[in-house]
Amino acid sequence: MANVGKITKLLVKVVGSDRVSDKHFDLIPYGRDLSPAKEKLPTHVVMPKSREEIQGILKIANMHDVPIYIRGGGTSHWDAFLAQEPGIMLDLSFLNAIVEINERDLTATVQPNCTWAKLDFELRKQGLTYLCSEAGGPAMTIGGSVMKGGGGPHGTAKFGFHGNQDIITLEMVLPNGEVVETGSAAWPSAGKFKRQCLGPDLAGLFIGAEGILGICTELTLRIRPATDFKERLLATMDSLDKVIEFGHFINRHVGDEYLQGAYLWVDPSAPDVFLLMMDVFGYEKEIIEHRKERVIEKVKELGGVFGDSEPANGYFDGILTGLTDIFATGVWHFFGSGSLRIDDIGVIYKIWREELIEKRGYTKAGFGGNFLPRDWLAFMVTNYKEPEESEMIMKLADEINELVLSGPVVPYGIGGREGLRPIVEARNTGYYRLLKVIKKAVDPKNILQRGIFIPKEELL
Amino acid sequence: MRIEEYAEMIYACGRCEFCRGFDFNERCPEIFTQKWESSTARGRMLIARALLEGKLEYTEDLAERIFGCFLCARCKEECKKAAQIDIVEITKAMRADFVDHGVKIPEAGNEMASLAMEKGNIFGDSPAFHAKWAEGLEFKKGSGILFYPGCLASHRFKEKTRILVQLLQAAGYDLDFLGDEQTCCGTPLWITGNMAEAKKMVSAQLKKMQNRGVKVIITPCPSCFRAFDEEYPRILGVEKLPIKVRHTSEVLEEIVEKKKIKLKHKVKKRVTYHDPCEIGRYRDIYEPPRKVLNAIPGLEFVEMSRKEAESFCCGGGGGVKLMYPDYSRAVSRERLTDVLATGSEIVATICPACEMNLTHATYEADAAIRVLDVAELMAVSAGLVDEEILDPYYIPDD
Ligand SMILES: Cc1cc2nc3c(=O)[nH]c(=O)nc-3n(C[C@H](O)[C@H](O)[C@H](O)COP(=O)(O)OP(=O)(O)OC[C@H]3O[C@@H](n4cnc5c(N)ncnc54)[C@H](O)[C@@H]3O)c2cc1C
Ligand code: SF4
Ligand code: SF4
Repeated sequence: MANVGKITKLLVKVVGSDRVSDKHFDLIPYGRDLSPAKEKLPTHVVMPKSREEIQGILKIANMHDVPIYIRGGGTSHWDAFLAQEPGIMLDLSFLNAIVEINERDLTATVQPNCTWAKLDFELRKQGLTYLCSEAGGPAMTIGGSVMKGGGGPHGTAKFGFHGNQDIITLEMVLPNGEVVETGSAAWPSAGKFKRQCLGPDLAGLFIGAEGILGICTELTLRIRPATDFKERLLATMDSLDKVIEFGHFINRHVGDEYLQGAYLWVDPSAPDVFLLMMDVFGYEKEIIEHRKERVIEKVKELGGVFGDSEPANGYFDGILTGLTDIFATGVWHFFGSGSLRIDDIGVIYKIWREELIEKRGYTKAGFGGNFLPRDWLAFMVTNYKEPEESEMIMKLADEINELVLSGPVVPYGIGGREGLRPIVEARNTGYYRLLKVIKKAVDPKNILQRGIFIPKEELL
Repeated sequence: MRIEEYAEMIYACGRCEFCRGFDFNERCPEIFTQKWESSTARGRMLIARALLEGKLEYTEDLAERIFGCFLCARCKEECKKAAQIDIVEITKAMRADFVDHGVKIPEAGNEMASLAMEKGNIFGDSPAFHAKWAEGLEFKKGSGILFYPGCLASHRFKEKTRILVQLLQAAGYDLDFLGDEQTCCGTPLWITGNMAEAKKMVSAQLKKMQNRGVKVIITPCPSCFRAFDEEYPRILGVEKLPIKVRHTSEVLEEIVEKKKIKLKHKVKKRVTYHDPCEIGRYRDIYEPPRKVLNAIPGLEFVEMSRKEAESFCCGGGGGVKLMYPDYSRAVSRERLTDVLATGSEIVATICPACEMNLTHATYEADAAIRVLDVAELMAVSAGLVDEEILDPYYIPDD
């Protein structure tokens, strides 16, 4: 391992002494994420203010063989930015500007650590908003969300995960310090207006790569006009088959889906009650009213029962401001999650009910999912007590993850050795082998996110 | 370690970062000034956890992260959604741990605490000088209603304090005043972690008041208010003090509601209101000052974008003003941008520390804004003082 003091001095030369620290108490806050993953401390934290400074930091890292871990808002939960081995934590907090809002082209260009909340706050002043995001609250950043290819309850029932419709161009600093732009920005005289143009879609290479192939330093996103009308609904159904039918109904009109948010929740205390919270999409009151009526008719036809919509309002309104009561009975762990066909949701539900609740007697985890156009993002989530239950929860989650991912479910959020990496690594698919080849080509010294997504040994 | 008492809360932090907010300048004044993740509430909970687990020790260079917190409770407010952690109490316990372990804390913090103990006020004034603001006013010894201005209102805001007393007296409150016998409420001790002498000091203070027949304390200072109402009972291990404690926000509201004074003159000014953290977030007192302002004829009341529970600190909290003056100034400048955005001519508030910080910010920015106590606006409307005090360039007689 490189000498810590020496690396500090070199980093100070790049960013100045007030944005580098190797003090233990400054490193501790980067040692944990939202999951029960064990504490992993970096050796340094550095906060660059420009892509040139990032290039300088990469140069030091390459020269001295020190891995770099990238932190956006730090709200993710699969060991995805924690230092898998001693290395530099690149805290991008200062790269948080809104570069441009172009209301003619309906694009917003931002630095990676601009938060969704900050962008939305500015967009709303102009009657605009963004397409989709997760429910991670105020500190969740656009760079973090997009680099993990995330999706959640906001907008995704209509627009899908990040990268589906909302990413137009990316600016990435590669591990060797070279800056590349994707989409129309790849052609420097053209500008930032189109995702798929020159040759293959290289943005897709970085979206979801969890930072292993490059550091995102700028993004141009699709934005859209905001609407003054809100229509949220809450209903319960008594079988998952009916929920599935409902799922097909709401997004059968491809491209013209009824809802922008559709969230399913099943509480472990009532595993036969399927709660649905819905956010109707539309720009005009008449359209929203029409869609609402159609949704109500369908829910009723399926025997569903409507309830007070207030919890749905609270839920959808809290996506950027912060959901409520999240740690009321302990901290969180998400597991058994992934993407799957609408018809396959029963597979995860069965594992939740039979393997987790009945066989293992664990009754504290709920089951949920977000509808996306033509698929699900499903998950299990539990509250638990740290530190005493951390290990038990990790073990339980590992077993469930194995079962879920043996089925028709694509892993969501890979992360490091305590995330889903070991499972992905064990499958060693052609896709994964290609990813390793690409990683080796762009990052021969395995500087970026060493141990995340791909174990270090695999790249030797 | 005092933080052991809070272990359960410390482990309850689920690391959601709600406390950090969506930008540096958005909610937490400590991350706004220090920028490090270790200066957020989430960072502090992880630091506290490491201390509990013996992986970290209190050291002099850690002090800035703990003593640079403004104790503004904005994070605590946010954490109500997440884990209900009392970050302020944990921070105070960490400060006390520093002192208990003999680890050096910012010099200005210790000085403030020793002045409060040795001289009876944080400015080191002689008792006579400290009570000078009251010259010419008449008080009723033994009336049972003690007017307790606190250090800042006595030393820094003599004219404002006189006006407040005139107003209260005109409304019929028979005020007593300790005069030369008034000593600091003790807040400097608990915000700097100097708890060793706290119990002795608190008992003596209480005894002095009881001997004088005090039944009610009225104070314009949120720190003094909370000291008597919350810290004294906690330190003495009792549920409640035998004395009722009232902050002026509540008393002024009572004056308006019971029409104890006639607000007859129009105050034709655009006025905004800054919520002091210690009565706002700490005590949920948001409505009373607003009610008073809205009762003043002619006054156009406008809200700031960040208000009530989401209000941004003035920079005066947690002793940071003395310990890290540059940080304090940066925060008051930031808060002034909210004031300026409203287009107001006056920013009213109801806390001497906020008044001081905001006043400094307006001087520094040369902004044509006057910082006034809610009571001063009432006094103008009641015809007790000349409206010249509303002028942005008015120089008070302090
Ligand atoms: C209350 C709550 C609700 C949540 N709801 C959801 C949800 O609905 N769906 C969901 O998926 N998640 C959810 N999350 C988790 C989390 O908010 C999301 O994963 C979010 O996308 C993470 O964003 P971040 O900015 O915190 O990223 P980080 O956690 O900082 O990083 C995420 C990943 O991206 C990498 N990265 C970050 N920035 C860059 C960059 N500039 N260049 C390259 N790589 C980078 C990191 O190394 C890491 O691998 C929730 C969290 C909370 C607290
Ligand atoms: S809001 Fe509370 S639970 Fe969330 S990170 Fe901050 S202190 Fe921890
Ligand atoms: S009390 Fe205020 S300054 Fe201190 S951490 Fe919380 S929000 Fe920041």
